[in-house]
Parts: sequence; structure tokens; C-alpha cells
Amino acid sequence: MVEPLIDTPMLEKLERLTIQWQKSHPGLVGGHNISRFAGAGQEFLDHRNFTHGDDLRAVNWRAYLRLEKLFLKMFQLEPRIPVRVLLDISQSMSTGATSKFDYTRKLAAALCYVGLVRLDAICLQPFSAKLHDSFIASGGRHRFQPAVNFLSALKSGGQTGFLAAARAFLARYPQPGLVLVISDFLDDEDCEKPLQYLADFGHELMLLHVWADEDREPPWDGELELEDAETGEHIELAFDAEARARYTAEFDAYAGELERVALRNSGRYVGLSSSAPLEQAVFGSLVRQGVFE
Amino acid sequence: MSFLNLSLGELLGLAGAISAGVVALYLLDRSKRKQVVSTLRFWADAGVRTQLKHRRRIQQPWSLLLEIVSLLLLLAALAGPRLGIIGTAGRDHVLILDTSAWMGALQGALPGSGPGARQGTLLDEARDSARAYLRSLPRRDRVMLVRADALATPATAFESDFGVVQEAIRRSQPGSSALNLELALEFAQQAQRLQPERAGEIVFAGAGRVPESQADLTNLPSNLRVLMSGAPQENVGLRKIGLRRSPSAPDTWDIFVVVRNYGTKPHGVDLELQFGKSPVGAQRLQLAPGSEQQATFSYRTKVGGYLEARLNIKDAFPQDDRALIELPAEASLHIVVYSKEPQLLRPLFASNPQVDAAFEDPSKYDPAVKADVIVLDRFAPPAIPHADSIYIEPPAEGSPIPVRETKAGVRLEKWNAETPLGAGLHTQEVILESAEVFAPAPGDIVVAESSAGPLVVARAPKIEGGPKLAVLGFHPGRASMKYQLATPLLAANILKWMAPETFRSREVQAGTVGTVSIPVGKDADPSSIRVLDEDQRPLPFTLKDGALQFFSGAPGAVSVLAGDRETVYSLTLPDVAEAVWRPPANVRRGIPRAAELESPPQDLWPWLAALGGLGLLIDWLLFGRSRLFRLRPGRSAPLPSRFRQRKAS
Repeated sequence: MVEPLIDTPMLEKLERLTIQWQKSHPGLVGGHNISRFAGAGQEFLDHRNFTHGDDLRAVNWRAYLRLEKLFLKMFQLEPRIPVRVLLDISQSMSTGATSKFDYTRKLAAALCYVGLVRLDAICLQPFSAKLHDSFIASGGRHRFQPAVNFLSALKSGGQTGFLAAARAFLARYPQPGLVLVISDFLDDEDCEKPLQYLADFGHELMLLHVWADEDREPPWDGELELEDAETGEHIELAFDAEARARYTAEFDAYAGELERVALRNSGRYVGLSSSAPLEQAVFGSLVRQGVFE
Repeated sequence: MSFLNLSLGELLGLAGAISAGVVALYLLDRSKRKQVVSTLRFWADAGVRTQLKHRRRIQQPWSLLLEIVSLLLLLAALAGPRLGIIGTAGRDHVLILDTSAWMGALQGALPGSGPGARQGTLLDEARDSARAYLRSLPRRDRVMLVRADALATPATAFESDFGVVQEAIRRSQPGSSALNLELALEFAQQAQRLQPERAGEIVFAGAGRVPESQADLTNLPSNLRVLMSGAPQENVGLRKIGLRRSPSAPDTWDIFVVVRNYGTKPHGVDLELQFGKSPVGAQRLQLAPGSEQQATFSYRTKVGGYLEARLNIKDAFPQDDRALIELPAEASLHIVVYSKEPQLLRPLFASNPQVDAAFEDPSKYDPAVKADVIVLDRFAPPAIPHADSIYIEPPAEGSPIPVRETKAGVRLEKWNAETPLGAGLHTQEVILESAEVFAPAPGDIVVAESSAGPLVVARAPKIEGGPKLAVLGFHPGRASMKYQLATPLLAANILKWMAPETFRSREVQAGTVGTVSIPVGKDADPSSIRVLDEDQRPLPFTLKDGALQFFSGAPGAVSVLAGDRETVYSLTLPDVAEAVWRPPANVRRGIPRAAELESPPQDLWPWLAALGGLGLLIDWLLFGRSRLFRLRPGRSAPLPSRFRQRKAS
């Protein structure tokens, strides 16, 4: 059995939350679009023959009195707004003293559990420069363990390619819905353009920006030989307090750009440090920014 | 300038090692640190790039030089260099304070005290001299205080904190023994040899009253300084008191008292003796300077008590004008004789003053009679007596030792002189008219024998404290044995064997504490000698040339048990030595003057430490990572184009 990403007390607290959205989408709140199948809806869809084990409450007793055969009434389930989680598993997520990758998986597990408790379906979609195999979690809280198994089996690696990943995502999921992007957004190419693509195709963006402390404020001093975790490129430089201040300002400016992209498209942006406790992030920043209610 | 324990070579070696370490640390600190980061995009405008070819070069030589110089200065500060004359630094002095018994002698009013103030002792004056000497010493010197009487006892280690030494001086008190100056000086020299610091002075503070053998002590250390205290004092004191039982009258004590005049003038003193507050005797003694005189007294008493000897004189040292000795009571042996013919045995038992004999008819026999020894004359008791018993010709059916036969005309052939019962017994051609021959059991002591068998047999108790038994096969007061010299000796031997405590000869000696020497004879058996203190704990002793020696450093009573002789030494008199030591003219005297003290060397370490610290501070300010005034290399090559593009956007 895979080690749980979130402990039981935390799960108990998560049961009080609900995923929120801002855009007006047709259908019910959250969940994958599975309304092509019959279910517990209000709108009558069809009849079928009764089979052993069917719910007797759905039997058409009038038809039975007339025809002396048992028929079952079927109803159409209303379409639901799909919730998809884009999970960055590039190599840059594994750098830093506190692993952003682990933090991201825990965050995704928390989102998944909140959705399962509300009987929603959550699509977990890992990506780096391409989309990897996805996993749809649905069916209630007792289906949480397969989601944990999926997240635990993920391995980080590869370069980040937001543009390619966004194109593949739009091709795979044409129906607009809620898209939660959990990433460090550290792409050598620009992230603004692919995020704008997603928004332009009707998706509501929720950007969860995860960074390690040394990503924002490097603690080192003196002569440094830096290697890019994804590209392997080297640079050498002298680093001191002034340079650190400039670096942090650059980083904050980039985070500001991401936030503007989200807000401009009626989305939300949350910056999270991987050194902060998960509980503080969920019940603090995410609730405050309206990701959860 | 001195570097304490570091030679120049060692110092340079240590400095070289530290410099190499500093250079290595410098290069390590200044070398580039490899770091894997998530992205390089934000480093574009933050850092200043450097060239790879500079990696192996020292980029801040002034910083390195400054660090090395600063650390060398700090190292030199740790070595504790001093500017000045090396010879005056850190000397170890040994201060010998005379704490002999004589230091308790009264000297006159203490200096600085008002009229009517109490008199000070010689030790008070010696304390003042010692304190004055301490005040004259530089603070970096160390002093060890040694208290000297018969032993040299260090009161402190070599202390640089003179407060500790002052306190030890204050706590010093006069002892009871005489000063052994030779031992104290030898101890001080050894103490100085064991210390790495340069030896300072050996200072003797005291009156210097020593035994005659040390009066002309000339083998003195060259660094000796004396602080003599006290003018010559007149003193007459008790030197020794001895008491022993008179050989002619056992209930009489022979007392002899030795009195000595320690002063330089003749003195006449009255010597009085009291026993239980009652006068025993008094004598007027005329004592020439430095002479001793013995007075003899005789006093008859059987009871125990305290004998006090007192000299009626007022001198500087009243401690030796009075002595108190405890006299033991004379012990007696209580004997009950059951005999129908007591007149035959009366000369044997009633003639000894230490024996209290009672004669009873056998019909009044009581096995539980209160007696130390019971004598049964031709009488078999119905019950065995509880006390030690002597059977004389017991009936065969009631004899405690089986009677083999009764014979007439038995010749007494042998006395077993190797046993305590037969010691000193000898007879010639004694034919006993009638005698019982015994069949002794294994372990019985045969005292006298005939050709037919044992005639006198003794039996020791099988358990500790049990009754002893002696059986005589003939009557000692009748016929052939009546006028033999061996007869009373046999009775005395039997009684002495049965009650050795009663017949032990006792002597009491009052003397001075210290080493006591007692003649015991060259063939004395060490295993038969015991030396016990007041608490009956054994004291160590030596046997050399027929003399037993032991040492007692404190007043008290010491018992010496040697065979049947017990000598009690009441060591209560203070040991006042006979002579006064006069130091030779070349020995330094008095408190050293301030002018004698050489100018103290100046410590350099604070300056060196300050300079070293300042150097490191400057290095940190100019070249450190948190530097306020930056000295840094110039800008390097531009960044990759994609970073510039992003910045432009």
C-alpha cells in the first residue's frame, strides 16, 4: 500500500471544503461530463426492462398494471462542469531543499479529496513538455486511494513546455471547465501565452504557483556556478545581498505577471511556498483566494 | 619578550601551519560554489558573472594577507608575550609558617591594640610577618603555604590568589610538637623542583625553636629568607612524668617528674603534685639555664584517679606548666578456697597483695559463688563451678580429668617450662608421698610429670570466655612440696594464666607528642607487641636496635602492650624544643623592600589581540560577504540572448 500523501486528521478537515468557480458554466457544479449516461436526474430519458437488482422505486407500476411486465424508468443526468488539474512534473519541480514536486502532489491530493467528498469527478493531468497519462477520480471518498496511488507513482523529469502542453490539453479536452494549474511556472519560454490560450478557449484558470524558498530568495553568496536543472546550462556569477534583492524583485515581478494573466481572464492566482505547511496553504491562501469555500 | 613554553622553532612551525590553514580556507571560501537551480531566468539581472579562468587565482590578495597577519597577531597574543625582564615573571615561593607548640608562647600585646588588650602569641607575630611578605610580592607570583611542626604539611598549593594564602595563614594554629626545620626546608625545595615555574624564595616565618640536633643547621637552600619572630623568652616547663608500681609495694606508685628550664636565666620553681585534689607532694627545684632536673615522689593508693603535676611559675609558655595523668586502679583477684585444712593453703593465696582470698568449708560449696577463681581442696563438688577452678587432689570419682591411678612414693621428674604454667619452675629430687596420675585428653596442658604420668594438668576452655581448669595430683601445702620454691611459683603461674589482666605490670608515662622511643630489647617479638591509641586502634610502629618507636602528632594516650607489660603514654605535654635556631649571616632576613622588587614586565597580549581583532574586522568590512565597503571584481560577459530578450519584453 502506498504511503498516504495526506494524513487522516487533514482529510477530516478537508471534508468541510468545496471547490469554487467564478465563471457561469451550464450544468452542475464540478465533476467530469458523464451526463451521457442515465442516472439520478429529474428529466425522463427512456424505459428499459427490469433486471434483478434494479431499484424498485424506479419501476413504472402503471405500465406493469397494463402490460404485466416490469419496466424501469431512466432519467437523464444533467451535465457537470469538468474540473481538471494540470500537474507540473518537470525536472525543475524536484529542485530545492523542500521538494516542490512532493508539495504539488499533496496539493493535488487535497483538491482530489475535496472533489470526491462532493461526489465530483476530478481529472488529474500531469504534464511537462507534453501531456502524460491522466487519471479521473470519481465515485466518492472511498475512491481516494486510487488517486493517491496515481499521484505517488508519478516521477518528475523532462523540460517544462507550457505552450506544447496547452495545445495538447485543448485538443484533448475541448469542453471548457475549471483548470487548476499547479506548477512553478519556470519555463524558459513564456508562460503567459499558453495560459491565455486556455482562457481564450473558455477555461477558468486557477493558477497555483508553487516555489521553493531558494527559487525566490537564493541563500548563497559569493562566486556561484549555476546549473539549470532542466537544460543543464551553466552560468557563473558573483552573488551578494544586492544581487539577491534584485533577483527576488525579478521573481516577484514574474509572479505578478502570472497573477495579472489570471485576473485578466476572471481566474485566480495563489502563490505558495513549499516550506509552508500544507494545512496552512489550503485553509489559508486557497480559502482566502476563493479556490475553496 | 617571552613566549612561555613555545620555542622559536615551535612558534614558527605553529604559525606556518595556521597560515597554510588560513590560505586553504581562504581559497575554499573564495572558490566557486556549484549549485543546481530550477531556472536561470531570474539570475540574468541579479548576479555579476565572472570568468572561469580566474578560478585558481587569488582574487583578493590583500584580504588574504590581512587575515594571515591578524591570525598571527592573535596567535602571538595567545602565547602571552611580555616585555621586560623575564626573570621576575611568575616565581613560585614557599612560605613556611612555624606552627610548632612553642608558637603558642605569649609575646606581648598585639601591635596596634590599645592598652589592656590581650597578649599576642609568637604565631600572631609570625602571621603578621607572613602577610607583610605576601603584600610585598608581585601579583603574578605564586605562593605555597606550608605549616611546619614535627611534620611539614602544605596548607595550600602554589596559589596566585593571595586571598587563599591569607585565609590559610589566618587558620593556622600552634600544634603540639616541636619544629622540624630541616624537614620543612627539604619539603619546600622539593615542592619548588616539581613546579615548571622558576623557583622563587623559601621563606621561613617563625620563632625557630628546634631540637638540639638542628640548632646549627647550616645546609640551607640558597634562596632562603627568614622572618624571625619573638625575642628570647623565659620558660620552665614539665618535660616528662613517669609512674610505675613500686617493686617492693605493689599498691604504691613511684612517681618521677622531669622539669626543664628553657630560658637563659636560672629559675627556682615549686613543683606540686595532687591526686584527686589532695596534695601528694611538693618540691622546690632550682634550675640552671638549659638544664633539667628530676623530682621523685611516692604515693600509695589502690584506687584510680587523676594525678596532676603543676609548676607554680608564670612564664611565656603556660601550656607546659601543668600535666594531668589518669592512674588506673589496682586490680585484685578474688579467690574462694573450699578446704577443710585452710591453713595449708593460706600461705599460697593470702600472701599475694593482688589476691583477695576467702576460705570456706566444703560443706558451704556454692557453684555460683562470686569469685574469679575457686580452689577445691580434696573435694569433689556436686556441681561444676562456673568460674575458673583449681582442683587439688580431687577424688577419683569426681575429678574433671580422669585419674589413671593413685601411687605412693612418686618422683616428680619434670616441669614443662615451655608452657606458661610451668615457666620458671624447677625442683630436685622431690619424692611425693602420694600422688594422683592423670589421663589427660588431647589439648590438655601437662605442667608436671612423673615416670608414671602427668601430675599437674591444665585445661583451656574450648569456647571463648569459658572457665579454665587446673588439676594438681598432689597437695602443694603438704609434706615434700611444702617448702619447695616451686610451690608458690606454681600457684602464681596458675593464677596468672587464669587472670592475666590482674597481674599485668603497668606503667604510666606522661610525655610530649611527637616521636616516642621505648626500649623493648633486641629479641622482642614484633607479633607480641601492640601499640593502641585512645580508641584502641593500632598505631604503626617500628622496631630498630631494640627500641620501639611510634609517632603521635596530636595529644592523647597511647598504650604499648608487650607481653605481660603495659605502658600507657599520656602524650599531653606540648613538645618544646630545647634550642633556638640562629640563621647564618648570609641568609636574607625581613620583608623585601619595594625597591628590591623589579619593575614588572609589561603584558603585550592585549595589544596583539586588539590588533588581530581589528585586522579581522577590517577584512570583514572590506572583503566579507556582508561587507559595507565593497571591493569587488568588474562585470563579466553578457548573458544569453534569451534572457535579454525577456527583459526587454
